[in-house]
Amino acid sequence: MKVAGWAAAVVCAAGAVATPAAGQAGQGTSQQEQGPAVGQRAPDFSLTAATREGVKQRPVALHDFKGKTVVLAFFYKARTKG
Amino acid sequence: MNAYRDQYATLFKGGKDVVLLAISADSAPALASWAKDANFPFTFLSDPLGDAGKPYGAWQPDIKLDNRSVFVIGPDGKISYKATPFREVDPTAYEELGKAVATAAPTRTSPY
Repeated sequence: MKVAGWAAAVVCAAGAVATPAAGQAGQGTSQQEQGPAVGQRAPDFSLTAATREGVKQRPVALHDFKGKTVVLAFFYKARTKG
Repeated sequence: MNAYRDQYATLFKGGKDVVLLAISADSAPALASWAKDANFPFTFLSDPLGDAGKPYGAWQPDIKLDNRSVFVIGPDGKISYKATPFREVDPTAYEELGKAVATAAPTRTSPY
């Protein structure tokens, strides 16, 4: 059986080649500004809460903490590092 | 989250005047069980649909998870600090966050 030339396993690295743009200033990455800017009003939300004591009966909303400093720490997944 | 727990007293003043809300797409029972096992002293919020993640730009619709980011909201209800993404492996990230929290919630003079 004859090998029909080169297998077509050509991985084409075309397409998503970002322009290096030497000296690119300011918003260097393609990443967009994420979420509200500093100084903007924090968007409210209401979610089911859980603590080491268990799942809370009532949902917790951001506005419950009016007048306090609140730190929102978003993370990927429970039982992972960080 | 372990770093948050271990630095809870210093970073978040042990929860005094500062509320730490840890938010992920996990179910509330999964978060509660993890909080119990790891003895986390703060509140978790279950965000399976991105109700919080979307307005804060953390929600990733393709994988249905919130990416790692931190916002500090001052007593006036406005964003006073943001880290997007939050570089959790970088110790200076926590230092910076601690400073942001201290600025937003200055420690009251102790009356002792």
